[in-house]
Amino acid sequence: MRILVVEDERKIAQILVAALETEHFDVVVAPTGEDGFFRANAEAFDLVVLDVMLPGRSGLEILQTLRQRHVDTPVLIVTALDGVDDRVLGLDLGADDYLVKPFAIPELLARIRALLRRGRPSEVFRLKAADLEVDLVTRRAVRGQRLLDLTAREFELLEYLLRHQGHLVSREMLAREVWKEPRRATPLDNVIDVQMTRLRKKVDADGDRLIHTVRGVGFVLREGEP
Amino acid sequence: MRRWAAASIRVRLTGWYAAVLGLTLVVYASATFVAVRHEFMEQLDDQLHDDFEAAEGFLTSTPDGPVAWSGPADRDHDGDEDRGLDVWSAGGERLARVGASEALPPAAVANAGSEAHYESITAGGRRWRTLIGTALVGGRSLVLRVSRSEERLRGQLAEVLTVLLFGLPLVVVLAGAGGYLLARRALLPIDHLATAARRITAERLHERLSVPNPDDEIGRLGAVINDAFARLESSFEQLRRFTADASHELRTPLAVIRGIGEVGLGETRTPAEYKEAIGSMLEEVDRLTNLVDTLLRLSYGDAGTVRLARVPVDLGQLTRDVVSSLAVLAEDRNQRFALDVADGATVAADRLVLREAVTNVVDNAIKYSGRGSTITIRVQREASDAALTVADEGPGVAPEHRERIFDRFFRLDEGRSRDSGGTGLGLAIAKWAVDVNGGRISVAGRDTGGAIFRITLPIAAASVNTQKES
Repeated sequence: MRILVVEDERKIAQILVAALETEHFDVVVAPTGEDGFFRANAEAFDLVVLDVMLPGRSGLEILQTLRQRHVDTPVLIVTALDGVDDRVLGLDLGADDYLVKPFAIPELLARIRALLRRGRPSEVFRLKAADLEVDLVTRRAVRGQRLLDLTAREFELLEYLLRHQGHLVSREMLAREVWKEPRRATPLDNVIDVQMTRLRKKVDADGDRLIHTVRGVGFVLREGEP
Repeated sequence: MRRWAAASIRVRLTGWYAAVLGLTLVVYASATFVAVRHEFMEQLDDQLHDDFEAAEGFLTSTPDGPVAWSGPADRDHDGDEDRGLDVWSAGGERLARVGASEALPPAAVANAGSEAHYESITAGGRRWRTLIGTALVGGRSLVLRVSRSEERLRGQLAEVLTVLLFGLPLVVVLAGAGGYLLARRALLPIDHLATAARRITAERLHERLSVPNPDDEIGRLGAVINDAFARLESSFEQLRRFTADASHELRTPLAVIRGIGEVGLGETRTPAEYKEAIGSMLEEVDRLTNLVDTLLRLSYGDAGTVRLARVPVDLGQLTRDVVSSLAVLAEDRNQRFALDVADGATVAADRLVLREAVTNVVDNAIKYSGRGSTITIRVQREASDAALTVADEGPGVAPEHRERIFDRFFRLDEGRSRDSGGTGLGLAIAKWAVDVNGGRISVAGRDTGGAIFRITLPIAAASVNTQKES
C-alpha cells in the first residue's frame, strides 16, 4: 500500500512516516504543494494525507484539481483549521476524511485503515481475541468458558477495542465513536477511564491481560505485551 | 464650516448667543423706531391742529378788508422760521402770508374742501408738515394753511436712530463677552472632569473623579464616567488575572514535559523507563491540548463567532442523559443522584452547547461532593423559565467567591488544582454555554453547607403546543 504524505512541516512529516511505516505502509513525502500535486497526479497512490496550509499551493487547491481530473484516490486532510466552515469546505471539495492537528497517531492510523477498508464490505458477526469471543448478533461476550456480564456501554466499548485489536485506541476515538460525543471534555475522559477500568475487571478477571493502558496515548486490546 | 465645528463649545455657544441676541435687538429697535416716529408725527399734527385753531380764533378780518392777527404775540407766526400761516379767500386770492410760509409754494385752494387735511411737502430743501382747511373768520370763509417744519422732528428721530445704531452693537458685544464668561464658568467643571479623567490611566484605574454634587448635570456625567472606570478596572483586573492564570496553566505542563525530557536524556535508562517518561510527557501534552482547545472555544465564544443551532430541547431529558452518562463517576465515589425532573421544561437552545453546561455543573458536583453523599438534581418550570438546580454536599462556595467562581481558571482551593484533573475551566465553559443560549447561571449556598448551582433558561415558545399535542 502506497501513501503520499503532503506536509511541509518536517517534524510532522517524519512522525507520519515513522508511524505509517510501523503499519507497513510504503510512504512518500512531498514537502511542498507543487511537489505534492505533481506526484499525486503522476503516480499511483492508495491514499493521500494532505496538509492544507502549504507553501506554494494550498492543499485545498491540490484536492480540487485532483478531483477535477478524476483522480479518485482517498484523501485525508490533516490541518490545524478546525472551524466548521473549514471542515465543510474540505469535505465538499472531495476530501474523504478530515483530522485536526494536533491529532493522536492511533486515530490517524485508524482513519487511514478505515479509508482503505472502504468499499470492501466485511460484515463481521463475531470478533475474537485469544480466548475472548464476542457475538455481535446475540450481544454475548465470553472469556474462555465464562460468560461476561456487560452493560450496554461496556459491550460497545469491548466491541470497539476488538475491532481495532492490536491497534492503539485513543480517548478521542472512544469519545467520538463509542460515546458519540462530538467533543472531548475532561468529565468524559474520567467517564471513559472509569468505564475502562470496570470493563477490564470483567474481561481480565482471570486469564492473561488483554486490555492494556498505554500511558498518555490510550488503550489497546492485544495478546501479550502492549 | 470646518473651523466652526472645530471651535470649542464655549466659542460656539457665545456665537449663537450673540447672534440670537443681536437679531432680537434689531427687531426690537426697529419696532421702537417706528413707534417713536409715529408718535412724533402725531405730536406734530396735534401742534398743527392747535395752530389752526389759534389762527381761526385770533385772526380778525372785515369783509373784503385785510386780515390781521389779534392774538398774543407769542402765538403769532410772524418772523418764525419754523412755522408759517397762509390765508386765502375762498376765491383763491392770497390775503396773508406769515412766517416761514414765505418759502412754501401756494396751495391749491380749490381743492382745500371743507374738511381740514394734513399734507407733507418739500420746499427749499426742507420738509414741511401742513394743515389746510376752511375757517370762518369775521363771518368770512377763508382758506387757512398752517405749517411747521419737520426738521426738529427729524433731528430727534436721527438722535434716536443714532443711539440705537451705536448702542446695539455695543450691547451685543457686552452681552457676548458676558455670555462667553458664563459659558466658560458653566463648562469649566467639564474641563476639570476631562483633565482628571485623563490622569486616570491603566495604572491608576482605582482612582475616581470627585463628584461634589451627583444630582446636577456635571455630577451625573461624572458618575457615568466613574461607572465606566469601575467596569474598565474590573475587566482589566479580570484580564490581568486571566493572563497570570493562563500563563501558569500553560507553562506548567510545558515545564513538566521539558523536565521529563531533559531528565530522560540525562543518562541511559531501560526501555521501560523511557516508555514511562514518554507516556508521562504525552499525558502532559494531552492536558495542554485540552486546555488550548477549551481556551480557543471560549475565545471564539468571546468573539461571538460561534454559530448555534437552536432547537427545542427538553431540559429534563437532557439532564437525565447527562446524569446517566456521568453516573459511573458518581458510582465510583459511592454517590447517589436524587433526580426530580418535571415535564415540559422545553427550552430553545443549542443541544450540544447546553449539554456541555449541564455536564460541567453535574461533574463539578460529583467532584466536590464527598464519598457517599447525595447530589440532588431538579428540573422545574418556573413561570416563563425552565430551571435546573444541582445541589451538592460539598464544601460550598463562600459568598465572596460566588461571582468569580465562573471566571476562567478560578479555583477555590489552589492546592487541589491539577490532581483533581480539571482544567479550571469547567464552570467558565458552563457559564459561557448558558449565556449564549440566553440563560443565567448562578450559585448559592445550602443550609447544610453544600452549593446549589442553578441554571435558568426561557421556556421555548413552541413548548406549550408540543405539550398539548403529546
